[in-house]
Amino acid sequence: MRYIVGYTADERGHDAVCLAVALARRQDADLDLVLVTPEHSLYAGTYPPDKGFDSLLSEQMREWMDEGLALVPDDVRARGVVIRAESNAEGLIRAAEDTEASLIVIGASSRGLAGRFSVGNVARSLLHASPVPVALAPRGYRRTDPVTRLTCAVGRRAGADAVISVAVSSAHRRGLPLRLVSLIALDAGQPDPGGAEDDANRRLAEASASLAAGGRVSVETARGASIEEAIESMAWDEGEVLLVGSSRLAQHARIFLGSTAAKILRTLTIPMVVVPRTYATPGTTSGPGALPTEADA
Amino acid sequence: MSIDETTQRGSGLSSKGLDSGTVGLLGAVVIGVSCVAPAYTLTAALGPTVAEVGVNLPAIFLVGFIPMLLVALGYRELNSAMPDSGTTFTWATRAFGPWIGWMGGWGLIAATVIVLSNLAAVAVDFFYLLISQVLGDPAIAELTLDLPVNIATTLVFIALACYISYRGMQATKTVQYVLVTFQLVVLAWFAIAAFIHVGNGTAFDATGISADWFNPFAVGSFSAFAAGVSLSIFIYWGWDVTLTMNEETTDPDRTPGRAGALTVIVIVVIYLTVALATLAYAGVGDGELGAGNPDNQESIFATLAGPVMGPFAILMSMAVLSSSAASLQSTFVSPARTLLAMGHYKALPKGYGRISPQHKSPSYATVAAAVAAAGFYVFTRLVSENALWDTITALGLMICFYYGITALACVWYFRAQAFASARNVFFKFLAPLLGGVILLVMFFKTAVDSMDPEYGSGSELFGIGMVFILGIGVILLGAVLMLVWSRINPAFFRQEVLTRGAAPRD
Repeated sequence: MRYIVGYTADERGHDAVCLAVALARRQDADLDLVLVTPEHSLYAGTYPPDKGFDSLLSEQMREWMDEGLALVPDDVRARGVVIRAESNAEGLIRAAEDTEASLIVIGASSRGLAGRFSVGNVARSLLHASPVPVALAPRGYRRTDPVTRLTCAVGRRAGADAVISVAVSSAHRRGLPLRLVSLIALDAGQPDPGGAEDDANRRLAEASASLAAGGRVSVETARGASIEEAIESMAWDEGEVLLVGSSRLAQHARIFLGSTAAKILRTLTIPMVVVPRTYATPGTTSGPGALPTEADA
Repeated sequence: MSIDETTQRGSGLSSKGLDSGTVGLLGAVVIGVSCVAPAYTLTAALGPTVAEVGVNLPAIFLVGFIPMLLVALGYRELNSAMPDSGTTFTWATRAFGPWIGWMGGWGLIAATVIVLSNLAAVAVDFFYLLISQVLGDPAIAELTLDLPVNIATTLVFIALACYISYRGMQATKTVQYVLVTFQLVVLAWFAIAAFIHVGNGTAFDATGISADWFNPFAVGSFSAFAAGVSLSIFIYWGWDVTLTMNEETTDPDRTPGRAGALTVIVIVVIYLTVALATLAYAGVGDGELGAGNPDNQESIFATLAGPVMGPFAILMSMAVLSSSAASLQSTFVSPARTLLAMGHYKALPKGYGRISPQHKSPSYATVAAAVAAAGFYVFTRLVSENALWDTITALGLMICFYYGITALACVWYFRAQAFASARNVFFKFLAPLLGGVILLVMFFKTAVDSMDPEYGSGSELFGIGMVFILGIGVILLGAVLMLVWSRINPAFFRQEVLTRGAAPRD
């Protein structure tokens, strides 16, 4: 199992490395610290012609990579990789595809123009385009102890099965307790007593039943006008990780994906793993992954 | 923890050079033309050159290419022997030691900073002109004459270009092809339309083309000749990029040479055609539309495109605006990288050597270049009556200075190899020596002449010509900064970082 770490030689890169270490421990996962370097366009119109900048940049990146690898404790295997790509997001996705990695870990913080916390550009592009789950480290994340519990936000949106499947398989692999949170009030659009809630709860029960053999599963229901509100209303452990589907974040319109993630990260300060709508957990042929897919609600 | 540095797709840590594919002949020509930015160059340089040499403009355009070519040949030799992001700075340091090397680097930075401020100002002129043409309201074009509005807009343009460059955004192949084609088509359109006016007798001041226009010896004085040549160095600035593309081309043995030749043919043809068309249409008088009218000097197309092209003048505004905006952005890279190299070699404070972890571009150096360009522009605009004209003339001076140093650095660095073969005699000795000497002669002649307060646009400060103050003042400022820095951190000047040396005998 391999994780791609989007590494930059700043605070955000440090956040990412810490989260990657926390996730990789007990999992026997290898880390690839990936530095993305921009592609040169011959047509960029730069003058005078210059072949020397790359050697200065390479030297600097070697230094950065040494610093990055020094952040990784001895019990976690890590290597440095440099990829040339047009954008950071594109480079990370390619790195994940090339090594068949199962996760991309990045630091999500970015200081906006007015000093407001927001999700960085790289995170935003990855949330839309990544073929594998993306783990977002909140700002200032320094915890490297193994994860203590997984919480999975489930509902009846497209990709719900992928999310549950990832949650179940990773909780199982790590021997972690899993908490399934139903966000039914949201899906109904407005307070809707009766049908919707029961339906969702049944679904949760079904999911948890199918893995009763393996782990400890708890089921909770969260209510709120929005996903961030619902999630904030719950109690969270320090070493917890939240799993959500990408379509869950994009419930209003796809462009809000990043800002929903930002709101959650800002208030929760626990890491969040976003599972793409179309993601199929490798190697899971039975169990929750085989639950019948419901129509996009 | 195991450290295993791997490389993927041949782009590992040690990767060097440009690796996004190779270019053929056409691509190389497009790159060359885009670096020259003919639409911007012509509008900025045509007027000031006419002011110096009058109708002999075509002759000067032709003659001005010779020193450029000679120096470019030397530049190519240095670039293949010592590829380095400091270019002139590093090469002159290796050849002549830290002091001259530092000043050479300063000259390059100053030249690019001056051109940045000029590019931004030209872009602003055509920005307002374009808006006024779109809205059909001539009053908007006048906004650029409003000092606070002009300065504010120019600073915004510089800041934008700095931001784009800092983010490491680059023009793509398609964008460059479109920009270059558009520029050439619009310039050709302008020339043809002007000739049609001349033919129909509707030209402003129809002037018959004479063979004498092509005779460089007909230029009145050596002063005018020197000034004209130093300006025409500016119009070819960027052309030599094609010569230095070796491994980036599909056929390294032939493509760069052919591309260089083809680029210069394209450029010379378009320059001569537009120059002839302008002179034939407007004459060199100082009438309303005359190319000799000081009001028209700073941006000839802003004045002439309307009368010549009619409603299609808007295309000229778009061509000049896009050409100068694109150049503005790409030109930022150059002083930033030289500053970065100087910071790296301890010739400047360490901060200049900083690279942005996020964007992998020079961070501090890019911002420093923007601040310098903005400061230079504000100073010039406030002091000079005709800022664009004076900056272009000062720019010619500065290019002569650092190109001259570069060419002589080539001669001196390769001195042990110079007579090893006939090829070396020409490329590493004769061509750069001749080019360097010509440029430095032009530099000193223009510098001395520009002390006259009447020189250039006629602006002055304390009875000294503005061009002298901008050109020599900037060089002296560099010398002062160099002395200050050598006191603070003498490592570079003691040759602890870069040492003097020479190419070994073959």
